[in-house]
Amino acid sequence: MKTPAKPTLEESGDAMTRRRLLSWLSGFGLFGSLIITAFSNLIFIKPRATYGQPNRFSIGRPDDFPSGARVSLDERRVCIVRDGDKIAAISTTCTHLGCIVAVSETGFSCPCHGSRYDQDGNVTGGPAPRALPWFQITLAPNGEIEVDKDTEIEAGNYLRV
Amino acid sequence: MSNQIKSRPWKSLVELPENIWRSIFRNPLPSSDLGRASTSFTNFFLHLHPVKVHRHSLRATFTLGLGLIAFFLFFILVVTGILLMFYYVPSTTQAYDRMLDLRGTVAFGIFLRNMHRWAAHGMVAVVFLHMCRVFLTGSYKPPREFNWVLGVLLLLVTLFMSFTGYLLPWDQLAFWAITVGTSIASYAPLVGKEMKFILLGDSTVGQEALLRFYVLHVAVLPAVLSLLIAIHFWRIRKDGGLSRPEEEDALPVPPAEVELVHAPAVVMATSPAAAAAAEPVLQKRNYGIQGLVRGPFTKVGNVPDRSVFAWPNLFMAELVVFLITVAGVLLVSLLFNAPLEEPVNIMHPPNPAKAPWYFLGLQEQVSYSAFWGGVGIPGIEVLLLLLVPYIDRKVAGVGRWFARERLLANSLFLTFVIVNVILIIIGTFFRGPNWEFVSPW
Repeated sequence: MKTPAKPTLEESGDAMTRRRLLSWLSGFGLFGSLIITAFSNLIFIKPRATYGQPNRFSIGRPDDFPSGARVSLDERRVCIVRDGDKIAAISTTCTHLGCIVAVSETGFSCPCHGSRYDQDGNVTGGPAPRALPWFQITLAPNGEIEVDKDTEIEAGNYLRV
Repeated sequence: MSNQIKSRPWKSLVELPENIWRSIFRNPLPSSDLGRASTSFTNFFLHLHPVKVHRHSLRATFTLGLGLIAFFLFFILVVTGILLMFYYVPSTTQAYDRMLDLRGTVAFGIFLRNMHRWAAHGMVAVVFLHMCRVFLTGSYKPPREFNWVLGVLLLLVTLFMSFTGYLLPWDQLAFWAITVGTSIASYAPLVGKEMKFILLGDSTVGQEALLRFYVLHVAVLPAVLSLLIAIHFWRIRKDGGLSRPEEEDALPVPPAEVELVHAPAVVMATSPAAAAAAEPVLQKRNYGIQGLVRGPFTKVGNVPDRSVFAWPNLFMAELVVFLITVAGVLLVSLLFNAPLEEPVNIMHPPNPAKAPWYFLGLQEQVSYSAFWGGVGIPGIEVLLLLLVPYIDRKVAGVGRWFARERLLANSLFLTFVIVNVILIIIGTFFRGPNWEFVSPW
């Protein structure tokens, strides 16, 4: 009995011929290199180290801040709040557009777009989308207060000194 | 015979100036149509133009010359920008002093800075007006859809270009405008924070940001802008010149003077036979010099006769626009000095801290909602602008201002323009300390 001759792979058209495989592979390679190039450029321009102000710094001894003090360290963009023996560091960078908020009678107010915050940094008015963050604050072995702006803590968490 | 040999060195010396001139400029000043055509064709700067241009494209009331003005302003910006680079240092400790030096010690320093500043503001405004012209004359219709898209990209790059330049004087105005501007960017979902960090090279505006903005401003963005401009111009040609109404081609052809001219040495002639064929020709003949170009403008043997030679019609028009642009920038620069405020003091933000004027509409929106005002709505607006030629597919009313057939599209666009202009006016004049509403009177 004679079976009908099957078309060979190349004749059927949808087969992977050598030429097709090679062009597919090289196309993939070229396109892939393009993506890798773009991606590595992105990695390149994202700085690994910043040369500006460090995010961990000490601000002096607790005695420098008398009870009831609300000292805004504008260059550090942080406000040191002391209430009795409780001390905390609240960000003074407006959560709206990054202006420095000023300490006001009722809390903080932003000069750029009129955002207002209460004493604890909660939004009381204006376009600010969220409260001012509180930063972790620790007592270093040498007795100085250290603020870590990389670590945000919950509002109301004071350090007792 | 011997006489001839003797005189040769002398002869080539006598002919030297003319030979040099002719080696640079292939054609004598044209006196015939063929000459006009080949002058446009054989000069590097002129060959960017078509050999013939439609009368409609030359109407000042149709284009208002806005695209050209934008390009010439860019040209002025490149020249003055490069000159300013000789004295500028992108360092937080030196930049502001260099601004003062430009005022005090550098020859023409203040004048160059004025020109650069005012031309930059002018370019933002003119590019925007050019977009309005293109929309209101329906000039983004096929086959010009993609050139509209390129135009929108050019507007965005122009804005970014101006924005990066804003930081460089390192005064209070610069610092706080960029602080506010980059914070708006950080509201973009997912990538916003990263984008701001990469743009500033740090978490706040400082030395890294100044260096990055400088590199973007003097190298990256001008390169991108030049490339986009080149493609934009190239496409005007390939899409068949500026848009014009269909009826234009049906209008009666103005009588052309028919004169018999002797063909000058034809540079395009590739063989002696072809040159010999270019015997005395009839003036009115249409030369198929451009070859085959897609679109309604140039077809070999069927060049619309409502067109005129680019030399001198188009070139004179361009020269006039150029001179007006330069004169305008010079005049404004003589009358008004570019603002320079106090040096940066991060402890004392000015109240209110305002972005550059073209972003004040954005800042006004941001004062209602940071995400929607700063990212959401502008993002949608840009997306819609990019998609305009793909949404509006009707082909009626092309090449005319405020065509009746385009009433809906034009009304929508004008609404968009007016709303943004009003927001900018409110942000500029009606917002005082704490961004509270104040009356300018």
